[in-house]
Amino acid sequence: MHLIGNISIYLALALSIYAFVIFILGIYKQDQRYVDSGKAASLAVFILASISMLVLFTALGTSQFQFEYVASYTSSDLPILYKLAALWAGNAGSLLLWTFFLTMYTAMVVYSRKMKNNPMTPYIAAIMLANTIFFYLILGFVAKPFILLDVVPMEGRGLNPMLQDPGMLLHPVTLYLGYVGLAVPFAFAIAALIIKSVDAFWLRMTRRWTIIAWVFLTLGNVIGGYWAYMELGWGGYWAWDPVENASFMPWLTVTAYLHSVMIQERKNMLKIWNISLIILSYALTLFGTFLVRSGVLTSVHAFGDSNLGAYFLIFMALAVIFSLYVLMSRYHLLKKDSGQFESLLSKESSFLINNLILVGGTFAVFWGTIFPLVSEAVRGTKVTVGIPFFNTVMSPILLALIFVMAVCPLIAWQRSTVKNLRDNFLIPAIISLVIIGLLAGLGMRAAYPIIAYGIISFMILTHIVEFYRGVKARRKVTKEAYPIALYWLMVKNRRRYGGYIVHFGIALMAIGIVGSNFDVETMKTVQKGEKIEIADYVLTYEYLAQRTEGINDIVFANIHVSKNGKDMGYVQPERIFYGSWEEPSTEVAVLGNLSEDLYVVLSAWERDERATFVVKVNPLVKWVWIGSFVLVIGSVFAVWNGKFGHITPRYTGPQRKVS
Amino acid sequence: MEWQIWTYHATLHWTTKEGVLSEKSYCYFDTTLLISVIPAYAGDQYDYKSAEFKEVASQFMCMCGCGQDHFECNMQGCGLNDSFKVEIKEMMDDGLTKDEIKDYYIGMYGEEILTAPEKKGFSLTAWILPFAVLGIAGVGIIFVIRKWVASNKEEVSLFDERTEEEQLEDEIVKSMIDEERKKYF
Repeated sequence: MHLIGNISIYLALALSIYAFVIFILGIYKQDQRYVDSGKAASLAVFILASISMLVLFTALGTSQFQFEYVASYTSSDLPILYKLAALWAGNAGSLLLWTFFLTMYTAMVVYSRKMKNNPMTPYIAAIMLANTIFFYLILGFVAKPFILLDVVPMEGRGLNPMLQDPGMLLHPVTLYLGYVGLAVPFAFAIAALIIKSVDAFWLRMTRRWTIIAWVFLTLGNVIGGYWAYMELGWGGYWAWDPVENASFMPWLTVTAYLHSVMIQERKNMLKIWNISLIILSYALTLFGTFLVRSGVLTSVHAFGDSNLGAYFLIFMALAVIFSLYVLMSRYHLLKKDSGQFESLLSKESSFLINNLILVGGTFAVFWGTIFPLVSEAVRGTKVTVGIPFFNTVMSPILLALIFVMAVCPLIAWQRSTVKNLRDNFLIPAIISLVIIGLLAGLGMRAAYPIIAYGIISFMILTHIVEFYRGVKARRKVTKEAYPIALYWLMVKNRRRYGGYIVHFGIALMAIGIVGSNFDVETMKTVQKGEKIEIADYVLTYEYLAQRTEGINDIVFANIHVSKNGKDMGYVQPERIFYGSWEEPSTEVAVLGNLSEDLYVVLSAWERDERATFVVKVNPLVKWVWIGSFVLVIGSVFAVWNGKFGHITPRYTGPQRKVS
Repeated sequence: MEWQIWTYHATLHWTTKEGVLSEKSYCYFDTTLLISVIPAYAGDQYDYKSAEFKEVASQFMCMCGCGQDHFECNMQGCGLNDSFKVEIKEMMDDGLTKDEIKDYYIGMYGEEILTAPEKKGFSLTAWILPFAVLGIAGVGIIFVIRKWVASNKEEVSLFDERTEEEQLEDEIVKSMIDEERKKYF
């Protein structure tokens, strides 16, 4: 089986190189036969990548410990789902997954019906294949997934217990789909530059790709946050870890890109900026991979045994230098036929401010992430840049972003007037001020959260106003009933109203993020029957017990919970002791509703069954997860083709010999 | 304090043998009880979950790789957090201020021990640079937009004649009508 695995990798490498060369030749000779051969080779590379994946899945699923990778990350007692998910637990496997997605995206682009007759196709394919070649070189010569051991162990080392969580099934996959997905708009952008087709067509072609990549990035981050919240037992979901930052940065720049492209589509402006943003986003995905694989910064996510960083750094440098060279060589074209701004007070300006904040935020995160290295290089002194820094620096930036999100939808294109602003913002502003007053009246004293909730409510209200105005305008024309008018308004303007639903999702997430800062916590050692009081909750520790699941022993505490005297049921926080892993893991017990989570961790216990619990009450955390669902719904709505989708245009430009 | 730690070690060993916990659980308690149980019992003046203790402990980064501070760290197998908490509490009980404790640890471990760079010297650039860049870029954007607007003055003056209309309303209605026309009429 290892032969099939190895052959699939080396053959895919050879075919990737062949496809890359034949596409270039096809372009150079303007011969469609070459290009068609390249397309077929791209498909073959995808099939080979699928075979590699299948071989590794089979080896993992059937516990074939003669494979070093299988022995390193699984054990025979591991549930089958986690055996399979171990494919992305280590360096080689996760890079294979990355490569699989890359080849899948390449095949999808090359064989897309929308790409028919599009002369960009061979260029895009060649750029994607250059990436593929790099990853196959790594898989073939540095991080090999199919290495055989000289001595076959009886049992594998097992999977780190922290990875034995449903999050492991989704978080890496979604994140990689997002990361790798950004290679597509990057390839489109570079291809557009090379063939000197710098109008907004490539933007429209890549809109769906970009949004899908963005949604996967979002999902990857949120699922990772949920995983951390449920598995790590510290009650939080975001720790500004360097690797978390690495996935947040391209999310910010792609968000900026998704907004600024609207100016190019409408005004034919910001062409250089948009291409720069997509190059930056792609470079940041490589930077993130470099961080994970290099170990230059301390991170809970990093692959401990990796020396791959240097390869990624070199590849990232080459990709950026090549991209900037192509960009600069087309600078004169990009500067031509540019539109004009009519007013400082316009939607265009608000988009630019939005971009400023998003890219500024990216810089702040980047700077904080690399500052330990900068400090060491400059002063020879290492410093740590942790949560307090990022919370302090990013809070005002993200609040400013929400404020711009509130203002942007209601400002007119081209030019807005004071009357417009008054008509659009007066009522939302007044209601937001009332909400601020109410929060203060209800006893909230911290300035930041009050301001934050004021801005978030303002954002939600302006969006409601936008929906209302749209429905009203439609009813003027069609005389439809309100729900029908709302339905058609949204369905016929999917992009705009999908975007607004995404904004609602962000607002809900922001409500949760701000609220979760009001957590209260206690740690107490109690005897059986003794109570722990926190906020309005009374927890009565009833007993400690042990059960066995497979070869794992689980120690759990049974705790009765009441709130304001009302029976809330029982929670059972656990510690799991693994048969094949030295350290136990925490399984927190969460009793939650929309207003708060009661979060209980079994910390330790003693001979007489006294037990120590960490108990937290985390307000509004559920809204972070609900907001992310809304965000995904909005994104899907925005890119859904449907009857009125018109998301991705077909190529109708000048025909060339090869496409 | 040390005698307390060893007492807990001994009782745990005994607990395991009794069967309340399995044999493999033993290793865990022998090493990690130090992290979580001792702080709950140590000392009298400052509670380990008090705001005062949090303020002091949360300024120090746990070096176990958890990415959290010494107030929050509950990483399995972390051998550092307990002794840190005990030491910090002892210093607080002895009347040392937050800054004095901070200076003590910086002297011992360097600035790396802090959860965030100091707001002085070179480390100040960590705090200032993001806002400086944002500010400069913001001024730059305003400058660029004003330049674009100025170069487009004539078109703007033509456009001005219509600015009293409710443009947003117009825009929506126009898009509706266009859409309807395309689809149905």
